[in-house]
Amino acid sequence: MSLDLAQVVAQIEEMATSLKAREGERRAKLDFALDTLQSPAAELNQLRQKIETSKTTWLVAGLRERIDLCQPALPCPEDIIILASDGSHIDVDRHHAAHCFLINIGIAQLQYGQNPDAWLSSSPSLYFKDDEVVISSPDGRREVIEGQLLGIKRSIEECRLLAERASRLETSLPVVALLDGSLILWSLTGQTYQDFVVHELLVDGFLKYLDKLREMSRSRQLAVASYISFPRSTDVVNALRLAICPHQPVDCDHYCPGKFEGRECDAVAGLLDRDLFARLLAPGERSAIFSSRSSVVGKYYGVHEVNFFYIKLDGEVGRVEIPLWVAEDKKLFELVHSAILDQCWRGLGYPVALSEAHEKAVVTGADREQFWSLVERTLAEDRIWLESSAKQQSKRTRWI
Amino acid sequence: MGTEQRVAEVIEASSAEFVAQCYKLDQAPPLGSLVKTKDELRKIYGVVYNVETHSLEPGRRVVARGEGMETEDEIFRANPQLAKLLCTDFQALVVGHRQGDGLHHYLPPKPASIHSFVYTCQLEEVKAFTQSLDFLGLLVDARLPIPVDEVIAACLRCAGQAYPDSESFLIKAGKEMARLLSSDARRLNSVLKRLR
Repeated sequence: MSLDLAQVVAQIEEMATSLKAREGERRAKLDFALDTLQSPAAELNQLRQKIETSKTTWLVAGLRERIDLCQPALPCPEDIIILASDGSHIDVDRHHAAHCFLINIGIAQLQYGQNPDAWLSSSPSLYFKDDEVVISSPDGRREVIEGQLLGIKRSIEECRLLAERASRLETSLPVVALLDGSLILWSLTGQTYQDFVVHELLVDGFLKYLDKLREMSRSRQLAVASYISFPRSTDVVNALRLAICPHQPVDCDHYCPGKFEGRECDAVAGLLDRDLFARLLAPGERSAIFSSRSSVVGKYYGVHEVNFFYIKLDGEVGRVEIPLWVAEDKKLFELVHSAILDQCWRGLGYPVALSEAHEKAVVTGADREQFWSLVERTLAEDRIWLESSAKQQSKRTRWI
Repeated sequence: MGTEQRVAEVIEASSAEFVAQCYKLDQAPPLGSLVKTKDELRKIYGVVYNVETHSLEPGRRVVARGEGMETEDEIFRANPQLAKLLCTDFQALVVGHRQGDGLHHYLPPKPASIHSFVYTCQLEEVKAFTQSLDFLGLLVDARLPIPVDEVIAACLRCAGQAYPDSESFLIKAGKEMARLLSSDARRLNSVLKRLR
């Protein structure tokens, strides 16, 4: 037996007891956070200034509207097109000698109203040429695309095909183009990727396709947004930390060096933004629109600066991210709000277009196995002998 | 069964039957009706014995969506993707084939080709095929997942519509059934009752 679940049962029970014990503490923190949210310390101008002059160790939301704003949605237009894109990939497998990866992008286009219609597609692409599987700089530096970098490459492809599909729409109906997950390519910030990699993926990739979508939005009502289900972000809770902080200007390293608990602001530590808005918002309402002050956004995103709001649905709080040009256009962000609400209603809690795009994109474990066996068979038929690792062979033939 | 229409495509085939996927949801030919597929050499005739509408993807179950809606049509208008995610299939029992000028009421040498188009038959073609009732033997002996006598009766009722005097056709067919089921009065009775 590979995993003895009998041994894990006691540990799971221990975990449940510990979570229960912490629930009371969490509820008290949440009550305090909600009081703070509506206190003078969270007043828009005062807090905005405190945020702008702060030096913190955590990511703090920028304020565009009152932090405790609760805004109901306008009715969703009856005639509307929702476009959504999602992707899956098969990573480079170092146990196979053929160096390649596959990206599969699913697109769903759903039209509602007078002429309801649907268009669902899946586009798999195999990358194997030298200039496809590495990113090179003019001076000869190279970064192999695999693992986390392939995840980023996939996000870019999702955006590229979304823009391409949007460009083919010949319609006067409002369009909401949805991506799954964050508009912020977080993985590019955590790793120390060289500039030419960031430039190729972000500036010449993701942001270029957002530019195309923005260009289209000049001649028709088109909004872009991304949706994050069950978000774990704390940008707004961190803004509350600043409201609580007695120091002015806030400077964590100066006033609380090396301290990670026991600080005034730790009164809201451990809370997530979604906890806050689950209590604050009524079903269907959105929060204020906040801006992301992430360094990668500040450095590269420009007009696509990522803004976000939370939306309360029947079952959860979701996070919706929009580029600045959507956040600054009242008609567009109201459209995003009402369309996402409508999509979640139709999709039993999750935007139905994203869910269908995912269904078209998904690559299962069985698909992966079939893919690699197809690669091997085709190469063998063409008498191209490529070795594969002994570990790979051993996984395939399980013996006792 | 009036005019010939292309309604589906073969997605599974064996010597004795084929499964066809309809181009439009819920637009399968009626139970018991005569359909055909063609290739360069022959036409293969089948009798529709089962129709199913289901999710295109095996892992996805259809869920009820119409609780707050007035009509079933409204469900499809509010969820336009449904028509792309569901499909209607039908299964047909092979009952004969035409090769050159010869019409044969027995199995063809090769099964229908995968992806061959499936057409409904015009009344004239139904009439021509049912001039001989030899194909009824294939139906009577078939082992189907649904009651075979229902299929036989439906087939004869459909074929009867191709004749101006359908009563005479059904009497002739009844006699043929009496011959085939001479040792099983209960089954015979069951089929004859369903011809009305």
